[in-house]
Amino acid sequence: MATSHSSFELLEQVEALSGQTVSDCYQCGCCTSGCPIGEAMDPPPSKAIRLLQLGRAQELLASEGIWMCASCLVCGTRCPRAVDYARIAEACRAIILRSRQSRVDPDTVSAPELEEIPQQAFIAAFRKSSV
Amino acid sequence: MTKYVYYPGCTLYTKARNLDLCARRAAEKVGFELAEMPSWNCCGAIYNATSDDLAAQVGSVRNLAKASQLGDKLVTLCAACHNVLKRVQDRLDQPGNEVESERLKTFVDEKFEHPVKVLHYLEVLKNDIGWEALKAKVVKPLTKLKVASYYGCLMVRPKEVLEFDDPDNPQVMDDLMRVLGAQPTRFDFKAECCGGYLVVNRRDVAKSASLRILDNAKSWGAEAIVTTCPLCQYNLDKLRVLTDGSLPVFYFTQLLGIAVGLAQGELGLEHNAGDPAGFLKAKGLM
Repeated sequence: MATSHSSFELLEQVEALSGQTVSDCYQCGCCTSGCPIGEAMDPPPSKAIRLLQLGRAQELLASEGIWMCASCLVCGTRCPRAVDYARIAEACRAIILRSRQSRVDPDTVSAPELEEIPQQAFIAAFRKSSV
Repeated sequence: MTKYVYYPGCTLYTKARNLDLCARRAAEKVGFELAEMPSWNCCGAIYNATSDDLAAQVGSVRNLAKASQLGDKLVTLCAACHNVLKRVQDRLDQPGNEVESERLKTFVDEKFEHPVKVLHYLEVLKNDIGWEALKAKVVKPLTKLKVASYYGCLMVRPKEVLEFDDPDNPQVMDDLMRVLGAQPTRFDFKAECCGGYLVVNRRDVAKSASLRILDNAKSWGAEAIVTTCPLCQYNLDKLRVLTDGSLPVFYFTQLLGIAVGLAQGELGLEHNAGDPAGFLKAKGLM
């Protein structure tokens, strides 16, 4: 994807919402190697940040990876440059949710799941991924 | 008897009654009282980290204000409630954040009266009661029980806000298990995420994260896992029943309850998956 002016505007929006400076990251990969669901997260944290650095924010916003981060905060805790990827993923999700697009539809939860899964999980999942 | 303001949270009233009930009863045995704060509301279940979303913080702000009218220490048990309340309080107290903090405080009817410290029940046991005094209350030591302490994410991170323990190798629950007479095992994934709320829409991801945690505990010789998070408990306990059935997952309050002499009916074992009572009987703990 070509770098565009609007992509850098999107990057500025991500930085404002997350309070993180994307250029602080020097791509050591500590975040990705520590991520407990790194194998399921596409792109993983360091690659996601690289996309932002390259002006490819649109690509990241369209990815599955930002919805996979459960904010366990291992990446940010270990980052030698104090970049908190969980906040970046949160900001990307917020941009999408604020355009009134839900990722998870509460109506798709089955009755047995409702009966069984702790409500803490539902509230968290819906707050993180639905409008 | 020292009295603490207590915030149970939603899950402890329903699916995690086994975390709450024996905690209240065990506290009495150990020598402190949990006085539930009246008309508490949901903490929000998960911290919202975006810089401008103040509405997401309001529920916890109200709980904190209400608690400040009742005492100076607010005790939690659910790892998620603890994490959210502590982080919202940190946000309110952050130097340089006075304008936002004032907006949030004036948004709720309840006024902040004096500073209130959010404490986890484990911190009360360790710092206020003390391991030696607690040891003196043990009537049924958990002898020979090899247990892996699982902390997950919410108790330990972000470390500068939670100020709880080493975020990579926390020790509090291990120490507690030792005080109760059990044998804590090595456990390399004790602070790795179980997948958390992803179980709602990506059960596959939560499952593989949880399976890795269970396998690690097993490989270090654990016979049971102990935790303080209803979601970790659910993810691990549910999964282990679906696999080989080994490694029952208890709340630390249940094992504490056994050690300080609570009756079987006070442990809420019917809310755990599988047959935890059978396991405890086989270990001579019931």
